[in-house]
Amino acid sequence: MAYLADRDGGSRMEARAQDNAKTGSSEAVIRLENVSMRYPGQDRPALDIETLTVKEGECVALIGPSGGGKTTLLRLLNGTLSPSAGRIEILGKRLSGDAPMRREHRRRTGMIFQGFALVERATVLQNVLAGRLGYAHPWLSLFGKFKEEDRKLAMEAIAEVDLLDKVHERVDGLSGGQRQRVAIARVLAQAPDLILADEPVSQLDPALTLEIIDLLTKACRRRGATLIMAVHQPDLACAHMARIIAVKNAAILFDGPAKALSEEVRSRIYDRDAERRPA
Amino acid sequence: MTATPNAAQPSPNKPDSKQPDPTALVPGGQGRGRLSPALVTLGILTLFAWSWWSLDVEVAKFEGAGKRLAQFFSGLVPPDLTVMETVARSTLETLQIAYIGTVLSAILSLGAGLIAASNLTPAWVHQPMKWVLGMMRGIPLILVALVAVVAIGFGALAGVLAITFHATGMLGKFYAEAFENADPAPLEALESVGASWAQRIRFGALAQVAPDLVRDTLFRFELNFRESLVLGLVGAGGIGFYIQLYARSFQYEKVATLTVVVLLMVVAIEQISTWCRRRLR
Repeated sequence: MAYLADRDGGSRMEARAQDNAKTGSSEAVIRLENVSMRYPGQDRPALDIETLTVKEGECVALIGPSGGGKTTLLRLLNGTLSPSAGRIEILGKRLSGDAPMRREHRRRTGMIFQGFALVERATVLQNVLAGRLGYAHPWLSLFGKFKEEDRKLAMEAIAEVDLLDKVHERVDGLSGGQRQRVAIARVLAQAPDLILADEPVSQLDPALTLEIIDLLTKACRRRGATLIMAVHQPDLACAHMARIIAVKNAAILFDGPAKALSEEVRSRIYDRDAERRPA
Repeated sequence: MTATPNAAQPSPNKPDSKQPDPTALVPGGQGRGRLSPALVTLGILTLFAWSWWSLDVEVAKFEGAGKRLAQFFSGLVPPDLTVMETVARSTLETLQIAYIGTVLSAILSLGAGLIAASNLTPAWVHQPMKWVLGMMRGIPLILVALVAVVAIGFGALAGVLAITFHATGMLGKFYAEAFENADPAPLEALESVGASWAQRIRFGALAQVAPDLVRDTLFRFELNFRESLVLGLVGAGGIGFYIQLYARSFQYEKVATLTVVVLLMVVAIEQISTWCRRRLR
């Protein structure tokens, strides 16, 4: 069953997306309770969240000043960081420190990085295939042997980001926008339930920014996957994402629909002077 | 920026009455920890003078050097080509010793380099490995060869072992540095797709640095060939044996043949290696 689901990841996702649309309600993909993250050697927590719930198929923008806790939240969600205190539930299961469970969680969670995080000397296909490593044979993959369905999913992902003509080209010969497409294809090849994006457009020009956000949101909707994306520009976030979460000074400052993000809240999020004034 | 989200924020309201003098932080002043240039110069000169006098260097020995050199060089021509077969055979042996040594040390260095890379293993693992590699390349090749000959007798095997040991000391360090220079972002990305440690090394680290490793290995092969020449001096195989044999028995016309062949080989290997390395990107 799992094998079938994996091979047919695309249509499975689409079916689920339709289900969600029909019923109107969907289960919580992510639930955070009293989560606190404190890095060693720091006196203040980097993140302190009382409660946060994200439902399946939601498109969420994370906004807020640099160093406010956006990246920490994303890393907690993809399981590369463990919270110092509190509870993180993914699809109803508590994310524990158990290594196999973390690995299982990671391979179903796609992460898109600010600096693309690609192997520059490898080809587009090699980079995208790396997204299947969590499912590939543990040691045959070391010799470059991938299962047929892994290759198929990788090629489908490359087609989805419209890079079929560059499949065998090396990444270091591609433009910035094309590189981010490769990074997105790597995530799509994972057939993930949850996609996390850490400022995926901060290195791109305005036209490319729109193109990439469009690509990402559409790909998520097609799969019924949940998208949480950190962005710098609140206008961009409001224009493309249904829900906005603003994180500042390690806490959630605003959480609601994009329409509800008022000018007053916006200025509070980005007002650096207010931060420095004694409370 | 991602690891310490709080670092960018100024610590608010911290009473800081004692402002430090900013000029005290400027490097290059007469601060502590700096030696005066005059003192350094004096030290260098003193050490030089002491070495010179205690070696009892006689400048007078230069007298007649030109005549002796001319005699030596005239002995070289015409080169004695009758030894060509011996020369070809032993040159090939040296080449083979260098080649086998390079392949073996590349295999060993891959393991050693991964262990010694500070970004891939914890400090208690990579630090001792770095020390071991440092010790291995610190011992001169001729000493290693001597020990190998004592252990397993005369012949090419001793040479192969010596070259492998010596080369791994350097190549392992080079490999480790290549891994350390790898961009950590793809490694993190692979961790986030659920790849295993071995998969991360293969697709994250190795995929990034493979051309660098090949470049280092080709360079090491050049060095291995040149350094293998001394192996013969202690009976560890190769052309070095004949160089000393003919030179000690004043058969300079044979030495000439050897020298020319070795020179051509060194130049050829260097050219080929450079050509290959330029094609790696």
